[in-house]
Amino acid sequence: MRNHVAAAHHVALHRHHHRQHATHAVHRPVNRFLGLPLGVAIALVWANTVPEPYFRLAQSLSFGVNDIGMALFVGLIMQEIVEATMEGGALHSWRRWTLPLIAAAGGIAGSAGTYLAYVNGRYEAILSTGWPIACAIDVAAAYYVLKAIMPRSGILPFVLLLGIATDLFGMLIVAVWRPAVAAPEGGAALLLVALGLAGAMRTLKVRAFWPYLAICGPLSWLAFFRDGLHPAFALVPIVPFLPHEPRKLDLLADPPDDDAVHHFEHEWNTLVQVVLFLFGLVNGGVILKGYDTGTWALMLAALVGRPAGILAAIGLALAAGWHLPGRIGWRQLVVAAYAASTGFTFALFFASGILYTGPLLAQLTIGALATAVGPLLAIGIARLAGVGRFSRAS
Amino acid sequence: MRRAVVILAVLLSAGGFAPAAQNPALQGPVPSRVEGPAPSRVEGLPARSDSLKFAVIGDNGNGDKTEYDVGQQMAAARAKFPFDMVLMLGDNMYGRQDPQDFVTKFERPYAALLQAGVLFYASLGNHDNQNNRFYKGFNMGGERYFSYVKKNVRFFVLDSNVLDPQQRSWLDEALGRAREDWKICYFHHPLYSDAGRHGSDVSLRVTLEPLLVKHGVNVVFSGHDHIYERIKPQKGIAYFVAGSGGELRRGDTHPSGMTAAYFDQDNAFMLVEVAGDELFFEAVARSGTTVDSGVIRRQANQTGATQ
Repeated sequence: MRNHVAAAHHVALHRHHHRQHATHAVHRPVNRFLGLPLGVAIALVWANTVPEPYFRLAQSLSFGVNDIGMALFVGLIMQEIVEATMEGGALHSWRRWTLPLIAAAGGIAGSAGTYLAYVNGRYEAILSTGWPIACAIDVAAAYYVLKAIMPRSGILPFVLLLGIATDLFGMLIVAVWRPAVAAPEGGAALLLVALGLAGAMRTLKVRAFWPYLAICGPLSWLAFFRDGLHPAFALVPIVPFLPHEPRKLDLLADPPDDDAVHHFEHEWNTLVQVVLFLFGLVNGGVILKGYDTGTWALMLAALVGRPAGILAAIGLALAAGWHLPGRIGWRQLVVAAYAASTGFTFALFFASGILYTGPLLAQLTIGALATAVGPLLAIGIARLAGVGRFSRAS
Repeated sequence: MRRAVVILAVLLSAGGFAPAAQNPALQGPVPSRVEGPAPSRVEGLPARSDSLKFAVIGDNGNGDKTEYDVGQQMAAARAKFPFDMVLMLGDNMYGRQDPQDFVTKFERPYAALLQAGVLFYASLGNHDNQNNRFYKGFNMGGERYFSYVKKNVRFFVLDSNVLDPQQRSWLDEALGRAREDWKICYFHHPLYSDAGRHGSDVSLRVTLEPLLVKHGVNVVFSGHDHIYERIKPQKGIAYFVAGSGGELRRGDTHPSGMTAAYFDQDNAFMLVEVAGDELFFEAVARSGTTVDSGVIRRQANQTGATQ
């Protein structure tokens, strides 16, 4: 009898753990990435029903969200990359980077080339300035759609590296983009002070994260702002000074809650969610009939140019003697290329950093939102080609 | 959680217009309601000898027959109404913009006017190459946004494609300095429009309108939507959409409560005369028919609101 009860208890416990695991798997992406789409959805409804109050609020929040709040988001991204590139981290070996880097270069060339060809072919050269937006990859979307299709495939780290490399390139462009800002105003000196303080804290083995952020962060922000760099990137030079732990390439997974660094990341996650919600709310609202040439250019670039560029670059690399990770073939690559075709979060971020209020921003915002169909295309292709969970053998 | 609240808090802190009578020649549907005082009908423009006279075209540079027809009609109108300048509301050039295109899409359609010494002052539309601001015939002095004075009117020409903070600051300052009787702004994208394809650019409006109101701008001309529309005064400012100087989107207007008059059945251009405290206007179709007309009166002590 006791054995029977124990067995029943064991089964119940197993079921509970299983349910808990499944719930956790669903909650993880929802907790970390739902803020932005939720903000965008509210903004879209609002902008298309009572536009004037929406745009008034969006413009009044724009600086606080895009230039201050988003520094937290960029800082968090930087934190993940720094840890992954440390010794023992998944990105430490440059050999792993080579093929994804080649694929990223192909994707950038494909998307930027397609975008520029389209807008210039339509004689709307003024839209040319938006080409970095066409390069953006929503790494989270790519990751989760591929994880859903091919949960244990080597394609996951490959696409993560591709996405990170592409977005780093885009972020570099956006950080230095603001050409119209006045001449440097002593930002370099301020940045040196911030770095010096961060270095001193590191030497003194300060484990708490907040002194780095509360003291060095604002100084760095002011330095970026005064010298015409996008201040949302202000934490990028500070984050490497924080104490870190090497990270396996599961960048989007929850980190272990066992030290000051990860404590910092846990605390930040809530704030970043709030910031991303506000970012979606401020930047995602667009009157839908504002679509125009830029919208089509961006969609074409993301959904055709980028996959074509990625696949062409990989083809060339293979012809030159590189090898794909094990058990990855062209069908998996096509699915992966389409999983990476959505720009969404990063496209919105790049757009807000490059363009100012007005019709150009509106049409490119619609394009950035519309690239959200990329993951659906990836699932459709996977289904047609029998890839991953759609494999005919399984 | 307390930190989230603190961050959230930081983020959060961070002329007289008398509507004209509907012209019987109006070919498009006539809006049923006209607000304000009884409209004073204006038959033609006074064409006073000392007034400022100009024409307005938008979205014209397609090089098609429609553009040439409008050009001819403008030249014909000039015989009776001797304007010596033309405001261009953007999309001055569609498609290819090589040197030959400046001939076929600008110099030839308006040859009669150019030969008579009429000056064209262009703003940039989304189809215009930004380098066109250096083209002499557009009189932009190589600037995306600029200001100039004619008689008692100061014109402010904006680049609504990219409304960067520098342009906003410039406009604020330039409007604040202006001492002329009339302040007229023109740019490509309309702040108010009832056209179905594009319509009002509300994000632009939220940014620009407070400046226009603050500094007492009297009239705003825009294009982009390929129709003619006169909007009822908004916060004291008269708005016109005149984007059918070559392109046309027939039947695209969806009149609303803010519509004063519209015409979307054929291409059209505008004739405007500023005489003292009055601004007379006519919208003329490609056929030569006047499709809308009226007068805007400026109050002598005006600080922004037109009446």
